[in-house]
Amino acid sequence: MRIFDPHIHMTSRTTDDYEAMFAAGVRAIVEPAFWLGQPRTGVESFKDYFDALIGWERFRAAQFGIRHHCTIALNPKEANDPRCTPVLDILPRYLAKDGVVAVGEVGYDSMTPEEDDAFARQLAMAVEHELPALVHTPHRDKLAGTHRTLDVVRESGIAPEFVAVDHLNEVTVRTVKESGCWMGFSIYPDTKMDEDRMVVILKEYGTDKVLVNSAADWGRSDPLKTYKTARQMLEAGFTEADVDKVLWQNPVDFYGQSGRLVLDELPGFAPSTETFAGNSVLRGGRQ
Amino acid sequence: MSFHLGYGTNGFANHRLDDALRMIAELGYTSVALTLDHHHLDPFAADVAKETDRVAALLSVLGLRCVVETGARYLLDPARKHHPTLVSDHIDVRIDFLHRAIRIADGLGADCVSFWSGIKPSDVDDATAHQRMLGGVARVLEEADRRGVRIGLEPEPGMYVQHLTQALALRDELGNPELLGITLDVGHCVAVEPENAADCVRRAAGLLVNVQLDDMRPGVHEHLEFGEGELDLPGTLAALAEVGYTGVAAVELPRHSHAAPDVARRAIAALEAAMPVTDSEWVDEVDHPWLVDAERRVRSEPAAIRSLFPAVGRKVGRSAMRPENDPQGLIHGTVDDLARIRLLAALADVLPPDELVGEVTELYRYGDDAERRGVLRGLTSLPAPAVKAGLELVQDALRTNDIRLVAAALGPFAGEHLDQHSWRHGVLKCLFVGVPLAAVAAVERRTDAELLRMIADYADERRAAGREVPADAVRLLENS
Repeated sequence: MRIFDPHIHMTSRTTDDYEAMFAAGVRAIVEPAFWLGQPRTGVESFKDYFDALIGWERFRAAQFGIRHHCTIALNPKEANDPRCTPVLDILPRYLAKDGVVAVGEVGYDSMTPEEDDAFARQLAMAVEHELPALVHTPHRDKLAGTHRTLDVVRESGIAPEFVAVDHLNEVTVRTVKESGCWMGFSIYPDTKMDEDRMVVILKEYGTDKVLVNSAADWGRSDPLKTYKTARQMLEAGFTEADVDKVLWQNPVDFYGQSGRLVLDELPGFAPSTETFAGNSVLRGGRQ
Repeated sequence: MSFHLGYGTNGFANHRLDDALRMIAELGYTSVALTLDHHHLDPFAADVAKETDRVAALLSVLGLRCVVETGARYLLDPARKHHPTLVSDHIDVRIDFLHRAIRIADGLGADCVSFWSGIKPSDVDDATAHQRMLGGVARVLEEADRRGVRIGLEPEPGMYVQHLTQALALRDELGNPELLGITLDVGHCVAVEPENAADCVRRAAGLLVNVQLDDMRPGVHEHLEFGEGELDLPGTLAALAEVGYTGVAAVELPRHSHAAPDVARRAIAALEAAMPVTDSEWVDEVDHPWLVDAERRVRSEPAAIRSLFPAVGRKVGRSAMRPENDPQGLIHGTVDDLARIRLLAALADVLPPDELVGEVTELYRYGDDAERRGVLRGLTSLPAPAVKAGLELVQDALRTNDIRLVAAALGPFAGEHLDQHSWRHGVLKCLFVGVPLAAVAAVERRTDAELLRMIADYADERRAAGREVPADAVRLLENS
């Protein structure tokens, strides 16, 4: 089984997680830029964070055989802090980077005018850089927030197939499906979605344009939720091909619109568990 | 690399020989074309045998392969340049000198002794010159046979033997002696040959014993830096690889001694950028039209580098230059590194130093890991005023734990400019994080007692913990 986790915050995770993810079949991930739990107080903190996303974390993931990409944005929560909003001015420089496959996470947290402004400006940047956009939907007042999100998306002129609306649930999935945007679901131990409910949604809405992620971060979360959802799909009667579509092909298709995905195996990691001439030794050395 | 890039000591005529050899090695060359001269291993000095042994030891320490060149201007006659020659009067003086050169080459373990015919004096007719040349070469071959040293006849514009065709015919007439080969100056090909340098390489193929690299314009015998003339450098180097040439290919810029270190630095940057590898796919990628176009854009509109630099990997590829023994590109870099080095060189051509420093610093500051690597590897092509800023970037990279940045930071630029304390810690860091020391420039020259002490302590610490000591550490300690 090969897995692409389209939303996971590896900055907050350990090397044990990377090893467990590789063992479970995760070969590619996207790490969206988001809030760090502790509010930042200035642009320089964001620069260092972005640098880590485009450099250090990509290198760290590569050590474990996993291709790392990221999305870059000013997140909605910190868009409300005037000390942080100048981040918007440095984004274009980062949006040109190789490993940056979308603008995100953008969207709403408390639905303030400041969030309106940052959201609209960043959707315009996505259009200008020909990048997809990853849109976070609020935890509080979710349904209203999702409707407003879709209105802003429509007004921005970005093509719906270039937008993934994330953290959906039973209440918000239908309106997003009708909009033509991609539907993201975060599978969590005890908030957001779980594996069983996810399978029910897949049965009802199908596998088209569905993205399943662990959204694992610094809070209570599980980087193997993608794998566990895949197991649950098989249990429920979905085929291997269905699983591959949801957990690999769909994220590849969505982020692939950036033209910047790199998915070939890393040097030193066997392409699969198959052997070559009876020998399963990994190619090359691993430092 | 199929052949050994080198530099000619006649382009370091204002340096002491030892200093010249050290500089050449430090800049990353792996061979040298040693022109015997009154101040560079004088073949007429009383202690020449002892001096030859000493230079041989130095070459070995520096890891330089060598050919012996005999084109000194006033070594035999202080009044007349290059005189006497194989086609003039007093031919014995020239032959005695070439015999000495052969003995020195033997002592140095050099690939060959290179020589030319000389200009035919106006009072010497063709038939006489021809006989002198045949007889002279035959006599030179006697000593070559005794010593088992190859000699390479170099066609030289304006001399009696000036075309490759003539040199090959002469060899034929002498019965194709095994030890008589060809020295080919690729710039001369541009200046006077009917075909381009790559085709001359193919024609001389199996007979090549020495190659000289420089640029020229058609019809003008003036040795130029790469890019100033009309030589197709990548095509010529590719032809050398294609014919399986494995000897010395040394830069021949005898009129650039006044600025030798800078000229030699530019030359190796140009050579490395144009160098083929065995993977033919790579050659296609590097000569990607996008890169050629990007260089042009940077020259006409320098700020364009801000958007071109991040796009390099997507456009020209990212694979390691020599994946078979360097899968991560730590030692030889990657295809995108090479392309970024070329963009930086183009930028350095058009921006004044202060603006260049600012732009390069920003490229690094806002660069991802690959862009930062490209900046670090491109520092050698920047002018002297950029050294201070370059060192700050090297120091930044050495603070990271990304082995690709650490490896790129310790290339020739750091080898030349980084202070000894930081450099030692950089080397030790390589041993810690698993960067092969082959990625570090100037290891032989800069290793000192303090570094060896640090490494010995590190090795003790590893052993105390029951861990393996890295092979590179063992090797360095054993060789000290």
